[in-house]
Amino acid sequence: MDKKALMEIKDLSVTYQTRLGPVSAVDHVSFDIYKGEILGLVGESGCGKSTLGKALLRMIDPPGEISTGEIIFKGEDIMKYDYNKLRNFRGKRASMIFQDPMTSLNPVQRMDEHLIEAIGVHEPGVKRESALKRSKKMIKRLGIGADRLHSYPHQLSGGMRQRVMTGIGLILNANLIIADEATTSLDVIVEAKLMDQLREIREEFGISLLMITHNIALVAEMADRIAVMYAGHMVEIGDIYKIFEHPKHPYTQGLLASVPNIQFDANEELYKMPGEPPNLTHPPKGCRFHPRCPHAMPICSTREPSLLEIEKGWLVNCWLYQKHQD
Amino acid sequence: MSSSLKKFLITRVLLTIPMILIMVTLVFFIMRVLPGDPIRSQLGPRVSEEQADRLRERLGLNEPILVQYGTYLKDMLTFDFGDALTRGERPIREELGEKLPATLELTIPAMIFTSLVGISLGSIAAKNRKKPLDYIIRVFSIFIYSVPVFFLGLIFQIIFGVRLNWLPLSGRMDSVLLTTFQSKTNFYILDSILTQNWAALKSTLLHLIMPTLTLGLSLAGVFIRLTRVNMIEMIKSDFIVAGRARGIPEKRLVFKHSLRNTLIPIMTLIGLETAILIAGAVLTETTFSWPGMGRYLVDRIALRDYTAVQSTIGVFAFFVAIISLIMDILYAFIDPRIRY
Amino acid sequence: MNKQSEKIDSAVPEWQLELDKVGFVRKLLLARKWYKGDWWFVLVSAVLLLAIIILGVFPQWFAPYDPKAEVGPSLLAPGEETSGFLLLANIDDHVETLQEIATKTNKIGYIMGSQATQALRDSLEIMNEEAEKEETGITYQPRGYRYEDVQQGLDALQAGEIDGFIVSSEELGDHLQDYPGIYFVEEVRSSKASSFILGTNQLGQDILSRIIWGTRIALIVGLSSACISFVIGVPLGLISGFFGGKLDRILTLIMDSLYAFPGLILAIAIAAVLGAGIGNIILAIAVIYIPTYFRVVRGQTMTVKNELYVEAARSLGTKTSTILWKYVFPNVLPSVVIIFSVNVADAILTEAGLSFLGLGLPPDTPDWGIDLARGQDYLRSAWWLITCPGMMVSLVTLSFSMLGESLSEILNPRLSEL
Repeated sequence: MDKKALMEIKDLSVTYQTRLGPVSAVDHVSFDIYKGEILGLVGESGCGKSTLGKALLRMIDPPGEISTGEIIFKGEDIMKYDYNKLRNFRGKRASMIFQDPMTSLNPVQRMDEHLIEAIGVHEPGVKRESALKRSKKMIKRLGIGADRLHSYPHQLSGGMRQRVMTGIGLILNANLIIADEATTSLDVIVEAKLMDQLREIREEFGISLLMITHNIALVAEMADRIAVMYAGHMVEIGDIYKIFEHPKHPYTQGLLASVPNIQFDANEELYKMPGEPPNLTHPPKGCRFHPRCPHAMPICSTREPSLLEIEKGWLVNCWLYQKHQD
Repeated sequence: MSSSLKKFLITRVLLTIPMILIMVTLVFFIMRVLPGDPIRSQLGPRVSEEQADRLRERLGLNEPILVQYGTYLKDMLTFDFGDALTRGERPIREELGEKLPATLELTIPAMIFTSLVGISLGSIAAKNRKKPLDYIIRVFSIFIYSVPVFFLGLIFQIIFGVRLNWLPLSGRMDSVLLTTFQSKTNFYILDSILTQNWAALKSTLLHLIMPTLTLGLSLAGVFIRLTRVNMIEMIKSDFIVAGRARGIPEKRLVFKHSLRNTLIPIMTLIGLETAILIAGAVLTETTFSWPGMGRYLVDRIALRDYTAVQSTIGVFAFFVAIISLIMDILYAFIDPRIRY
Repeated sequence: MNKQSEKIDSAVPEWQLELDKVGFVRKLLLARKWYKGDWWFVLVSAVLLLAIIILGVFPQWFAPYDPKAEVGPSLLAPGEETSGFLLLANIDDHVETLQEIATKTNKIGYIMGSQATQALRDSLEIMNEEAEKEETGITYQPRGYRYEDVQQGLDALQAGEIDGFIVSSEELGDHLQDYPGIYFVEEVRSSKASSFILGTNQLGQDILSRIIWGTRIALIVGLSSACISFVIGVPLGLISGFFGGKLDRILTLIMDSLYAFPGLILAIAIAAVLGAGIGNIILAIAVIYIPTYFRVVRGQTMTVKNELYVEAARSLGTKTSTILWKYVFPNVLPSVVIIFSVNVADAILTEAGLSFLGLGLPPDTPDWGIDLARGQDYLRSAWWLITCPGMMVSLVTLSFSMLGESLSEILNPRLSEL
């Protein structure tokens, strides 16, 4: 696969100014999204993965803000964009699909209006008829009958709505689609179908897909690479096969072990990770995972490890794989 | 029209019936079951017991309470309210027929004014949330809400009527013009346009300005607040976030997407506001000597004409029920989720 | 469950969950830090309310006069000096003050029907009080002589029939020129105070005193009617929401109709039937606000009822009354407190409205609505009659509304905008 980076995220932090002090929901995270890949971003609830996804489009609302870092998309730092450039970037270059397709479409706007609006906003010269034509083509491509264009969101099924959301991104030839728990609210069969379609679309349009989910099985099936987040930190990122085979970070190990497996032995108990994810207002010193880590060492509670490459394209954020004194 | 919309409309119309019934019953309960003798208070202590009895008989008040309730319901539903006990003893239906248009001519413009002010200020506040402009609008709305409508009216009267002498203090039209004015519908604006009586039209409009502004402003407080809250909810809602992620301009998001969705709860709100509107109208009419239903009610209470009072309140109940019905129907036409 | 917690987590930042764990008093204290911009809202409303409550509880400390007493000339503008009356005497008598010619043996004249008598009486009263204090043993009580017009009086004075003549400058005109032997001694004022801060009304009552005493009436009516609505509306809402069924449906239908009915009209009807009086007014206002409590409490009870901890308590066989009181009520309380404060504001407005329409309290009560209604007749000549009572109604309503607004920010941080 072509390993050219579409988006480079460097040292990105998102801080919420709360009444109990600043909270870093995403803390100095760096990684790349390659052209044409599917990257799965996993982690427990509240680890900051959704915040990270929103931050990539600079969609963090006050009291939160992107406090440090660069987001470089095709060589341009979108952190330096003004409002109009940013608006053009959103939707046209990168698009986002949200968890609940029912609420992420305007309930009083018809499907065709959604699609035409997207075209009209980003390509002001385009006539309404040609926009409508393109919308029809796109919706057919996504396997929805053209007659459905005149429907309101509540008249479509969840899967259809999610496909329309995807279509709004594709119709403008976005290079990156961020799917934030996009399939969580769908049932398993619809989910599989949508996923198949996303994979097809990836191949056909050559887009990159960032899949944010807590469903590890889905990532295993879909993604090319996997990124694991814990308490605002990126703890491991690398090739999906390698990581599933030999997870390096103790958290990844625990996470994978706690996924039920169809083949697993009835006598074998499912792994339960001890402890709770930390409260981000008062994160533990040193490695944020150390209170729950079965391999914790003295250094883990005093100094933070860094995300370092242990093999080409495989980075781990753990003292176990890094040189240290003592 | 789809079948589900038809079904919605039919249920809604049917639901209005028990609502009117309960309201009208409530009026009956208050006027006849609560302690206090309407006849005695009507006639005063000096009138003999015989005379009081004769009046009771004429009004059917000597019958058992349930029979009274039955006749009362029948009268209410056929709009046959009987004759007033005081001031010419005209049929109440006729009198209310003159007063209702006056009230409508006051309340409809007021409601339009309120909606315009409320929706525009409310959405501006929501868009500038937690900024100085938002605080100013919020304080303004609480302030406006706290000022009694009649006090607002009196202040306007002092400023614009007495000091600046720009606008007439009270009434619907200059008394000089009124003597020759032919009124068919009792909507003075309509009548003066129909008869092409431009002097009358000008006078009517001038008389209308202060009462409308007073009533409209005092209702705007609630309206601004509720529009703002609904709008903020809407701006925070998922589809606006999703719209932002699609790169749709902020202005379009606020004024097209949110506003249209906010209008739906606002329709219901207007329905609920009718109650406040009517309360405000009674006070405004009294302040500006506006010859509408509210002033009629207060007048008749002062004269202790309890038949007229009871009928007027009954008509108000109808009014409220019908407006909330109309609003719900409009609601159905705006919101596609109900329409289909 | 997993999906739901995921959603809640992403929607509600952790610090807000943290916030819910803090107790009521700490919430109030911490509010200053949390609500930066909104804090002054709380402060201003708290200070205003405190002032209003002190004013309402101890009006006698602040009101300079009895609100029902006629203490000055009628329709005196705020700060305006009462016009004094002129005391005239004969030059030959060498009189310098009123005292000299006000003993029992003296005779003082005035024009029939003139306000001068009142002025004289008031002045004598003050002089007598002073005399008593200094124990001089003198009683000032001159004999009064009435004349039909100025000329008669001045003639009598010149002739020495009377020792002094009291007259207003309008009455006097330029007659003094014709009587060279008569001169102006001093001004005699009609009351103890020469001016009133907020002026006087058409009956000569002090407006400041009336609006201060009016605070008490407004607070009594507002608070007690809100309490009655609370006491009836909350339990009904709890029961209706918790048990559901037929009772719930009937109650809801009645309450909804009552809610849709214009409150003021209903209060007018009740007040008209029951007649004037503070108790009846409180009752009339209380009735119209019951549905507000009922609706909110019922709605919240229905939500809370299905929460896991209530289900758990039920499955453990906890008594229904205990569940209602210990589990449901505390959850409903924050919104009820907010409604209560808004309700007091509304009740005060309604009371003022009823009094304005002449349906409220007995006509002599020092009440803002009554004062406004009376002042309307003097709109052209005396703006101060309505301005101050009206501002007081607005101010008190404003304080309670602002309290409600700030309470809703503090007690429901997540619903801070509702």
